[in-house]
Amino acid sequence: MTRQIHPLDKHLRLERIPTLYCPGCGLGIALGALLRALDKRISEGTINPDKVLWVGGIGCSSRMVFYVNYDAAHVIHGRAIPFALGAVLANPDLLAIVTGGDGDIAGIGGNHLIHAARRNVDMIVLMFTNFVYAMTGGQVAPTTPRGVSTTTTPRGNPEYPVNAVKLVGSLNANYVARASVTTPHYIEQFFYKALGMRGFRFIEIVSTCPEIYGRHIGLRDPVEMYSELRKRVKYKHKPSLEKAEIDWEKGIVIGEFVERSNPSLIEILKGVRS
Amino acid sequence: MQALGAQSSILSRATGKYRVSVVIDRCKECGICIFVCPTKVLVKSSVLNKYGYHPPDPVNIDKCIGCRLCEYNCPDFAIYVEKVV
Ligand SMILES: Cc1ncc(C[n+]2csc(CCOP(=O)(O)OP(=O)(O)O)c2C)c(N)n1
Ligand code: SF4
Ligand code: SF4
Ligand code: SF4
Repeated sequence: MTRQIHPLDKHLRLERIPTLYCPGCGLGIALGALLRALDKRISEGTINPDKVLWVGGIGCSSRMVFYVNYDAAHVIHGRAIPFALGAVLANPDLLAIVTGGDGDIAGIGGNHLIHAARRNVDMIVLMFTNFVYAMTGGQVAPTTPRGVSTTTTPRGNPEYPVNAVKLVGSLNANYVARASVTTPHYIEQFFYKALGMRGFRFIEIVSTCPEIYGRHIGLRDPVEMYSELRKRVKYKHKPSLEKAEIDWEKGIVIGEFVERSNPSLIEILKGVRS
Repeated sequence: MQALGAQSSILSRATGKYRVSVVIDRCKECGICIFVCPTKVLVKSSVLNKYGYHPPDPVNIDKCIGCRLCEYNCPDFAIYVEKVV
């Protein structure tokens, strides 16, 4: 057994560390922040680690569930949300945490995202926006900014991207926030908050992919990519959904956009709220 | 440098206040910790880990303010900060 040394080691499957992530990939920064929030909840006694279930689809972001020392399911591409829905319907005591990329969650899984938010299903969805399909080599994603050249848009992306925060916020989700890997303290704070709520909770985490996206936009060096993203990120205190800009040129607004206490699907089905 | 077994050799320096430790074989030499440290404690070392990466060395440990930004921004759980009691 590998010896525990780092303060988060007890939450990791150490035999799988180091991760397969490329050097300087922002996903590992986010994972650390998420585990610190979970650690805080567990040590306070507000979360039972035996009830935690991580679910990921396919992609670098989804693969996060492979590294956590919890019950976890690695399912097919875009289907992590329906898997988590099945799990919480079968066992409403579970705390389902879905991780996935912008391709997995907002692209192939976009329909599940919409309907899980509409139904206020009890789960936390963490969507990592690195602006491309990273694992498969940098194809255009639904979040790719206009004009950016990717593997499949060599002359620049001609399409308009989706703003997932605005989309999910317009539905019946109880919590909608956005953070960035350059602000790990906000990832920790927002996830900590989400862990204490019911219903559908969505956190978009803007991440760096120096290896693939960085190559496409000329920021191949992890530190350069990190620092360019950090320059663009602006925190706002409880901004409205209209302020939820995510644009490489105009800036990326992070913060807590939506906080509601609408009845969740499980509460409705149990008849405790209607 | 202390040897703590094959999987977990640590490069560690401390003042009377803080200890900064680097798990040598977890580091991927991304440089983010060096970049985010506000007081420039960390410098790329000449140590070569088992994957061929050079981990950082907290050579300027006297300047450490214990902010843990290096720990919180490392993508690979390779650096951590402790208060020395
Ligand atoms: C049904 C199906 N279609 C396509 C693929 C190929 N595929 C694997 S990962 C991926 C996209 C990954 O992008 P994203 O979800 O944004 O995650 P990232 O790697 O960027 O974190 C695709 C298209 C697949 N595995 N299954
Ligand atoms: S391809 Fe991009 S997102 Fe995937 S591990 Fe590498 S840097 Fe991270
Ligand atoms: S704790 Fe802060 S000051 Fe000390 S090495 Fe880390 S980043 Fe630098
Ligand atoms: S941030 Fe972590 S992986 Fe990157 S150079 Fe520092 S210790 Fe190594």
